[in-house]
Amino acid sequence: MSAAQVTKGTSPVQQLTVVELAQSPAGEQTGKLLADLGAHVVKVEPPGGVASRRTGPFVQGQEDPDHSLEFWAYNSSKTSRVVDAASAEERAVFASVLAGADVVILEEPEWLGALGFDLDSLQAERPDLVIVTITPFGLTGPWKDYRTSDLVALAAGGMLNSCGYDDHSIPPIRPGGNQGFQLGASFAWCALLLALIERHRTGRGQLVDVSIHEANAVSGELANPYWFYPRALVKRQTCRHAQPEPTQPAVFECADGAYVYFALILSEQKAWNSLLAWMSDLGMAADLEDPAYQDVAYRQQAFGHVQELIEVFFLIQDAETVYHEGQRRGLPIGRLNAFEDLVHDEHLDQRGFFLQMESSEGTTHPYPGLPYRFTAFETTPGAPPRLDEHAARPDGSRD
Amino acid sequence: MTQTTYGGPSAGGSDQRRPRPRTGPLAGIKVADFCWMGVGAVATRLLADFGAEVIKIENRKRLDTPRRLPIYKGEVRSYGDEDPNPDPDKGGLFNNYSRNKLGITVDMADPRGRELVLDLIAHCGVVTENFAPGVMERWNLTYPQLCEIREDVIFARMSGYGHSGPHAHYRSYGPVVQAVSGLSFNSGLPGREPSGWGLSYMDNQAAYYNSAGLLLAIFHRMLTGQGTEIDVSAVEAGVGLLGADLLDTLVNDRPSRRADFPRGNRLEHPECAPHGVYPARGDDQWVAIAVFTDEEWKSLCAAMENPAWADDTRFASAAGRVAHHDELDAHVSAWTAERDKHQTMHELQSAGVIAAAVQNSRDLSEIDAQIAARGTFFELDHPVIGPALFEGFPARLSTSSPDNWRSAPLLGEDNAYVFGELLGRDADTLAELAAEGVI
Repeated sequence: MSAAQVTKGTSPVQQLTVVELAQSPAGEQTGKLLADLGAHVVKVEPPGGVASRRTGPFVQGQEDPDHSLEFWAYNSSKTSRVVDAASAEERAVFASVLAGADVVILEEPEWLGALGFDLDSLQAERPDLVIVTITPFGLTGPWKDYRTSDLVALAAGGMLNSCGYDDHSIPPIRPGGNQGFQLGASFAWCALLLALIERHRTGRGQLVDVSIHEANAVSGELANPYWFYPRALVKRQTCRHAQPEPTQPAVFECADGAYVYFALILSEQKAWNSLLAWMSDLGMAADLEDPAYQDVAYRQQAFGHVQELIEVFFLIQDAETVYHEGQRRGLPIGRLNAFEDLVHDEHLDQRGFFLQMESSEGTTHPYPGLPYRFTAFETTPGAPPRLDEHAARPDGSRD
Repeated sequence: MTQTTYGGPSAGGSDQRRPRPRTGPLAGIKVADFCWMGVGAVATRLLADFGAEVIKIENRKRLDTPRRLPIYKGEVRSYGDEDPNPDPDKGGLFNNYSRNKLGITVDMADPRGRELVLDLIAHCGVVTENFAPGVMERWNLTYPQLCEIREDVIFARMSGYGHSGPHAHYRSYGPVVQAVSGLSFNSGLPGREPSGWGLSYMDNQAAYYNSAGLLLAIFHRMLTGQGTEIDVSAVEAGVGLLGADLLDTLVNDRPSRRADFPRGNRLEHPECAPHGVYPARGDDQWVAIAVFTDEEWKSLCAAMENPAWADDTRFASAAGRVAHHDELDAHVSAWTAERDKHQTMHELQSAGVIAAAVQNSRDLSEIDAQIAARGTFFELDHPVIGPALFEGFPARLSTSSPDNWRSAPLLGEDNAYVFGELLGRDADTLAELAAEGVI
């Protein structure tokens, strides 16, 4: 049993049947966002399974299609149905599944073609169908046939230009976790919901052509406005905002070897006094208690000295203490949590963020919960499906 | 300061700025929008783009930070280098975040201001906010209280940590959220401090999830007639974006604090090389190349005109290329270093190799033929700033196009329309409220 359970109210997508033809984190995450809210998402796979099933890491090193954590990350709550495009009989089964679908999520139009359909005629035959394509650069334009990867998407879209180290002999560094693809997924999810609202109002479906490249190109925060307005280019800096001009480091190492993020904005008097009181309480304020430092201009002039004292102040405490004590004093400080820290975070724990997800083999693992909570309805995501787990019914429907 | 004249033409002197019926899937949806800063403003921008009447509620005594940040035409200043008395209508970031929205000013501390806002909430039926936890409570505008104003209200709350739990009151913005959620630790070269993010990635990603939450709530209300409260924690959204690396720790008990993690620009899965960012001609210019298969490797060699070093049997298999990645990178870098990054991108893509120039914002605006052809960036005029480019919606919808009708509102630009035409206050009342600083 891998479908999400609606545990309160009615989910707005629980009546929907979705056909997903995806194998990258962009399309798969889009399908997961629907499936985790109770939509019936039929993941159609080729014999042997989609590429993500063959990508590691694997559960306890078991390299087979049912133990890929790459697959688990993006495919919870779905139904898996293998369709061999070479078989006329199986293409007919696919056609019957498609006939009952409200939504199609598609990464490669050629894949749909191999299964006997093309986008133009499908739209003509099924004007009620919402078709979301999520492709590297979009279905049109001079770069439409270019391919991508997460690194390449971040590079082309401008995100990578902002990320890396102060030392520019080191190339820009890719932020981890497939975020280039995730940006595509976030916009595909919003566009899909817009299309569902339109369909509810008019009865008409439509084609939604999402470009991963464009999703990255509009998500650089300050970088584009800095070019659109003062025509300045931002330059990467270690773990803090890329800016036209260099700023002071904001990542500090602590006594336990972990790091905290803290950007002191010298012009903020309240933050300055909070920090000063904290340093004084530990006998570490040194000459910063001199009233001259109450003047912003004086602080700015002595910034190097201030920065050195803060470095030492954090280096003698562990990161957990700095994080919570700093926050208690009203300072926006964050500990750079490693993954193993997250399951021990008391806040996430008390909010019940991590689910205990039962895999299709009966073992239980912590798994990230939904990114939003609604008072009107709740769902509990289900396990990612084994390959062809739902083959018993020819139409791919669940038990 | 620019000020609307009640009953007269709207500020900016153009009828084109007058609110008009909107088009798109969200036409008819109205939002009383308390959002400010980045996350909230980006979240409700999507609603405004697709036809919702998003009414941004501002306070003249406490300007929205993007109105103050010195991202101005013709003046290069860093983020923190603010003007002590900024022109609130000059900020580029505000323009970027609040296009297609209406703007009103109101002082909630004055009972008459509060009454206007309660009327607005009843009129709109959707309320959005991303204040520090406690602000809406102090205003007695919690979900149960909003339900008394309008039973089917949708109340979207956007915060760093969510509205329950022991750290709900912690202060955060993008970089803090990224740190706490694991997204900063996740990024960097092994054996040194994390390089993390050079932007508030989670301001954007949390905003997109907030947009989706609002769309789900609106869809749900269309289907059932019921409203809902929405609670989005940016930290939780961030944890949800960590992917398989997180599961490797949660399922396999493999710590992420280990010598070979994070991995810089290399991948552990799938096993592939070369995979990295290589120097290009010019100062601090780079090109990203990702070779996943033997076929792509052969194509890369052919594009490099089959240099002798590439025949080395150590490079014949993916496992061999990964084992000798440093050496391989040195060879590839020697080839890319003297070439233009876009030339390398186009030649490699044409040869079937996945590659892209590391583009900066000038490249995106002026060189990227795909952005140009797809119209990703579009221009709108603004009464103070003049014409400016905007980052559009990164998808083409065959019937539901964005309705980009106006640049960001001037401070209080739509007071007359909202308080007068929508809420029925007469011109004399509004003039009095304006004179007394209530609106």
